[in-house]
Amino acid sequence: MNAVGAVAVAAGPRVEAVSATCFHCAEALPPSPARLFIGGTERLFCCAGCAAAAQWIRDARLDDYYALRTAPAVRVTDDDADLAVWDSEEVLAEHARPIAGGLELTLLTDGMRCAACAWLIDRGLTREPGVLEVTANAITGRIRIAWDPACTSLSRPLHRLLALGYRPYLATGAARERARRSERNRWLLRLGIAGLGAMQAMMFAEALFFGEASAGVGAMSVPMRDFLRWITFLVATPVVFYSGWPFLSGARNELRERRAGMDTLVATSTLLAYGASVVETVRGGPHVWYDAAVMFVFLLLAARMLEQRVRNLASAQVDAIARARPTFAVRERADGSRECVRAGALAAGDIVCVAAGEAVPVDGMLIGDDACFEESLLTGEAQPLRKTAGAAVFAGTVCREQPARVLATVVGQGTRLSQLAALVERAQAHRPPLAQAADRIAGWFVLGLAIVAACVFLAWRAHEPARAFEVTLALLVISCPCALSLSVPAALAAANGALARMGVLPVRADALDRLARTTDVVFDKTGTLSSGVPQLLEVSARDGFDRAHALRIACALERDSRHPLAAAFVDADIQCMLHARTVTTVAGSGIEGDIDGVRWRLGQASFACVGHDDGALWLGDGTRAVARFVMGECTREEAPDAIAALRAQGLQVHLSSGDAAEAVARCARRLDLTQAHGRQTPEAKLDYVRSLQREGRVVAMVGDGLNDAPVLAGADVSLAIGDGAALAQRAADLVLAAPSLLRVPAAIALARRARAVIRQNLAWAIGYNLLALPLAAAGLVTPWLAAIGMTLSSLAVTLNALRLARATQKVRA
Amino acid sequence: MIILLLLIPLSVMLLGVAIWAFVWAVRKGQFDDLDTPALDILVDTDELPPRVRKEPGDAP
Repeated sequence: MNAVGAVAVAAGPRVEAVSATCFHCAEALPPSPARLFIGGTERLFCCAGCAAAAQWIRDARLDDYYALRTAPAVRVTDDDADLAVWDSEEVLAEHARPIAGGLELTLLTDGMRCAACAWLIDRGLTREPGVLEVTANAITGRIRIAWDPACTSLSRPLHRLLALGYRPYLATGAARERARRSERNRWLLRLGIAGLGAMQAMMFAEALFFGEASAGVGAMSVPMRDFLRWITFLVATPVVFYSGWPFLSGARNELRERRAGMDTLVATSTLLAYGASVVETVRGGPHVWYDAAVMFVFLLLAARMLEQRVRNLASAQVDAIARARPTFAVRERADGSRECVRAGALAAGDIVCVAAGEAVPVDGMLIGDDACFEESLLTGEAQPLRKTAGAAVFAGTVCREQPARVLATVVGQGTRLSQLAALVERAQAHRPPLAQAADRIAGWFVLGLAIVAACVFLAWRAHEPARAFEVTLALLVISCPCALSLSVPAALAAANGALARMGVLPVRADALDRLARTTDVVFDKTGTLSSGVPQLLEVSARDGFDRAHALRIACALERDSRHPLAAAFVDADIQCMLHARTVTTVAGSGIEGDIDGVRWRLGQASFACVGHDDGALWLGDGTRAVARFVMGECTREEAPDAIAALRAQGLQVHLSSGDAAEAVARCARRLDLTQAHGRQTPEAKLDYVRSLQREGRVVAMVGDGLNDAPVLAGADVSLAIGDGAALAQRAADLVLAAPSLLRVPAAIALARRARAVIRQNLAWAIGYNLLALPLAAAGLVTPWLAAIGMTLSSLAVTLNALRLARATQKVRA
Repeated sequence: MIILLLLIPLSVMLLGVAIWAFVWAVRKGQFDDLDTPALDILVDTDELPPRVRKEPGDAP
């Protein structure tokens, strides 16, 4: 639903342009678009690839896809990728696993934008001959495909996938993924059994309560009571020991390490309630507490599962973006022929061919022709860099415009990309552990409780031996720290869920607490405050040439080039009526093409009009200049609002950027920022953050590029913008899936509310225990009243935590 | 009250059936994807559609 809203808003200001976009991918149309009838209406397409995909979808009667989707598809490039490597023995041996009737393999793709994509892939691939089963998951970007190798090779269905616009990547760590799935299933089973068992046990407990309460006429006979107790025992046992196993084993580990944590508390109280109930059942005592034990297990399991699910979702998305590192590479043999190999098989000295649009697998030296590389993964800089033969090329950068040949010098772990990743890990290890306060409290609590219980037991034994056991049990049950141990995870789970719905994915569990304590927000300019997309800032015509006409010419020239600057012209375009012919790109200089019989050139001054290069873009006919275009990055639309909101929350906003001082100053002026620093290396940014921390400030860093990664890891809490580079997200505590800066103040507000709720919960839980403890010790509370009190207290804490989830829904509505 | 001796074991058996069904559903992967199948109900698939269908007026 969000996606629809976003698309509609984006299209709002230029409604007339909507019909002029590709029906399949919603990109701008060329002058002579492909046409096709879909559902009785003629639709226009930007390229043959999109049209072919749409035609296949229509002919396969899957055109419901267009009605179901909530986001436009990805542009279908018609490059014919070499998928033969997917059929190679070593790939199949390493990644496929045999199932009944064939093989199964998990792959990643990057084009899945909504559930309709998953539906289309599901339906589309199942029709391919030899394909047994396909399950696509739009959230994780994963596709599980099962096929019969006797009927088809894997590359055939993958060709279909590619023709629909989804490029397949090998999912690394298939074993990890499988383990994660079976782990999740185990948790589901535990939770389901706990839920069903708890329901049933509560039902029997109800009957037992009534039987006890109505001691007169309708009293329950003793055999019936015992029968019901044994049945409850039957139902409660698997819940306590199977569903509650994570707590029991956690407690065992904690005991082994000689510390008392939350798991110890949970396991102790569950086992106490259960064990006492069993004893009572056997000896026919006055009361049992099975219901308390099972309900406790169920509630806690649900809270933990909710929290874990949100975290898994976040890390799955991060994993899916990790495909920036190519799995396969094309190696040139000595005789000039090419072979496709796994990236891991490359060695220093190999010549690697990188196709346009693909990532470089190694660090090396460019040989042969000039080429363009986008280094956004390493530097956060969106503008591709032109490199000449002999220049250094880095792994993880993306080759643009034309293919390149690279002589590998460093491979594998030695690459700059891997080193930066290592730096990130070191910075992460540096972070002080903060999340142990609750565990410490629990440790003291459980110890104190044990001492108090022992004292009370001894006192009652001396005073009234018959009631000693009952009173001690009531004391333990009523002051069972259920509410205490539920208070923090329940609030965290609700807050994490609310964050995820807002489009902020918490990757680390303890990020929320630190986010709430934030006093300073440091932005990195490239790609965070600015959109990273070039924008036309200024157009000036020369020699009396018509300004609008110059724009139209430039637009026509740029329209068909995939150069990043082209997007600026397409956006600036209002009515682009001209058609350019024989458009050619002159590497490193600009583009030229024929319009109405004139050969126009657009690019550097030296190329377009024999002038002096000044960084601007010139339009000319090779000798005479007619117009000058100044390009620049635009700030994100919502940046001023986001910064104002952060200030309103009492936060200091800083800007620390690797860009030129002048550009940073311009950006700071526009956004009214006083603390702005330009030309910062990653080390300098880290120093800046550390100096703030030394002043006792808590720093939140918002970044996107990999050069931010050490800083992201060094800051107290870090947020990465979702469309930024992959590794930065791994180092971040929170990932903004929706690329809107307004999420930053929203997330901080939510974190502060979550902190308030956690405090309320802790205060309530501790207050309740302090109040109940003396009452129980004095023997004023019967065990069944204690069980009800404990359950109500846990319920109050959980409901309080759920307010967090409800509040965000109100905000969204 | 004697009827409880029949009804309660019956309810426990029903509980067993419910747990068995739940375990079966989890093992079969019914909970793996909770988003995509929701779209199926919006689409008519009474019969297997033919592989290729042509519409008049296609551009070449």
